[in-house]
Amino acid sequence: MAEMWISMGPQHPMTHGLWTLKVKVDGETVVDTEPDLGYIHRGVEKICEARDFTQITTYCDRLCYASANTWSHSYIYAVEDLLEVEVPERAEYIRLIAVELQRIASHLMWLGAYGPDIGNLSVMVWCLREREMMMDLLQELGGSRMHYNFPRVGGVKRDLPHGFAQRARAKVSLFLNRIQEYEALFDESTIFLIRTQGVGYSKPEEMVNHGVTGPNLRAGGVNYDIRTAHPYSVYSELDWEPPVERPSIKGADCYDRYRIRVEEMRVSALMVLEALDKIPRGADTYHEPGDPAILAKAPSRAPEGTSGSHHFEDSRGESMFYLAGGGEGRGKMPYRASIRSPMFITIPYASKCMVGYKVADIPAIMGSFDPCIGETDR
Amino acid sequence: MGRVVSTSNQKAAAEAMASALSSMDGVDAEVSERKSGTSPRNIVSIDCSSENWRALAECMRVEHDVDYCSMVTGIHWPEGSPDKNWEVVYHFMRMGVTDPPVIDGMVQPIVKDPTTLEGKEVPLEIEVRIALPETRDPKVASVQDIWVGADWNEKETWDLVGIDFEGHVGMRRVLQPHETPVGFHPLQKQHKLRYHDFEEMYDDVQGFLRKPSDAGKIK
Repeated sequence: MAEMWISMGPQHPMTHGLWTLKVKVDGETVVDTEPDLGYIHRGVEKICEARDFTQITTYCDRLCYASANTWSHSYIYAVEDLLEVEVPERAEYIRLIAVELQRIASHLMWLGAYGPDIGNLSVMVWCLREREMMMDLLQELGGSRMHYNFPRVGGVKRDLPHGFAQRARAKVSLFLNRIQEYEALFDESTIFLIRTQGVGYSKPEEMVNHGVTGPNLRAGGVNYDIRTAHPYSVYSELDWEPPVERPSIKGADCYDRYRIRVEEMRVSALMVLEALDKIPRGADTYHEPGDPAILAKAPSRAPEGTSGSHHFEDSRGESMFYLAGGGEGRGKMPYRASIRSPMFITIPYASKCMVGYKVADIPAIMGSFDPCIGETDR
Repeated sequence: MGRVVSTSNQKAAAEAMASALSSMDGVDAEVSERKSGTSPRNIVSIDCSSENWRALAECMRVEHDVDYCSMVTGIHWPEGSPDKNWEVVYHFMRMGVTDPPVIDGMVQPIVKDPTTLEGKEVPLEIEVRIALPETRDPKVASVQDIWVGADWNEKETWDLVGIDFEGHVGMRRVLQPHETPVGFHPLQKQHKLRYHDFEEMYDDVQGFLRKPSDAGKIK
């Protein structure tokens, strides 16, 4: 049969955003793919060159609406490397709680979107219900629903509010019980199993060479995690281990990538509970905004010739900022801000994974890698 | 306590790699000590000339097991010194990831204890900076065939900054529209934000040439 190119996107349920996947098909079989990105390129890197270091945080929130907190924290760690700021330990704990809650919310958003992709509609409502609990907690910290603008250079915007620890413990414990409901909903759904098992194999060595990290890599049976390999924040103080999945002989399939995210939510939830217990001066103490216990003094200028970078474990893989000092206003702004987006690298790899499968498998494979176009196009 | 990679092992591994790489021509490697919050980080920080870059890349991949290319950044320094008008910064990581073994028909996941990693298994961060002299067509050698992860990073760097990668197969616009004029790379410093110089890219059908009242005052 003759081969032909079809265009999936920019408006297509598979894409989870605006981009085009060009697929070359031979009958029902995918022969070749070519992703076409950049539909919502906003030029964040250029905008950053004309903003103070403190102003950039808000732009980083908007890189990914499903995982705003991890992105602004990723930026903040790079700035602190550039400006050489030491962060109070209490602030590090609060950051960890915020980031891990955001990771759960992001994975829930993914799970909720992945269900409808492959014919499991009811799960969407369930996941968004639990995501709402996480967003309520984050709203208490940051003040808004999606774009929190929570971290500050040298600490955090606000301390844990009164009663936060109690509410967080209740909600996270409830969530830990409800994860079992999702597992039942997915693992006992024949449609879900048929559509995800044995599709979209990927092997760890190949993934690393292609630049794929995070949950997608750990699904392949490797326990590499930036939080343990290049420890930042207070991850070294908590008792936890990154979850690992046992893949099949051919590599990790879509089902493994689903399993690893469910396990990661569980690990993150336990980490939040532990951090609430271990936080210095206790979770029930409250400090006013700007108190040295939660916010260290930071310089506002970075001289020319300095640079800062930080690898960060985002919900979707390794995110990273590289900042060169010495921009406008004698170093008040970065001369160049460069963003490493995990999905920008993963989408081309995911597109290669589809070759050899049927057209109907494309949504299952693409969705399992958790694409987010906001950060991809920047 | 969490199981994380120990700082002393990481520092020793970084120093071993830096001293081995320093012996190469045109390569100046050292261990840069930084801090993340309060925990120390040791980064292998390398300055390399553009002629020796390809040899350094191959050496890193083959002899030092650097298996992961994280990011490629291009910087335009129009006011910089004539021998550093452009800069390409590569970020690598050594992950030490291998495919898990198959025993009795079952894959056995590799669960390494990060506290006990030694030698070439220790995770490392590597930063390579390549300065380029003043030129109209800056270019360095591509490493797309060594780390496939560098492929789209290099495409993006060319698209936005205009630094070309010699030997890169399939170079094209990735973030900007495909019909973007040849030679337009928005992260070069002659392009200012906000209305200025928009005529370079578009005709004025949408009124982009109308300047705001504060033109020239605000970036």
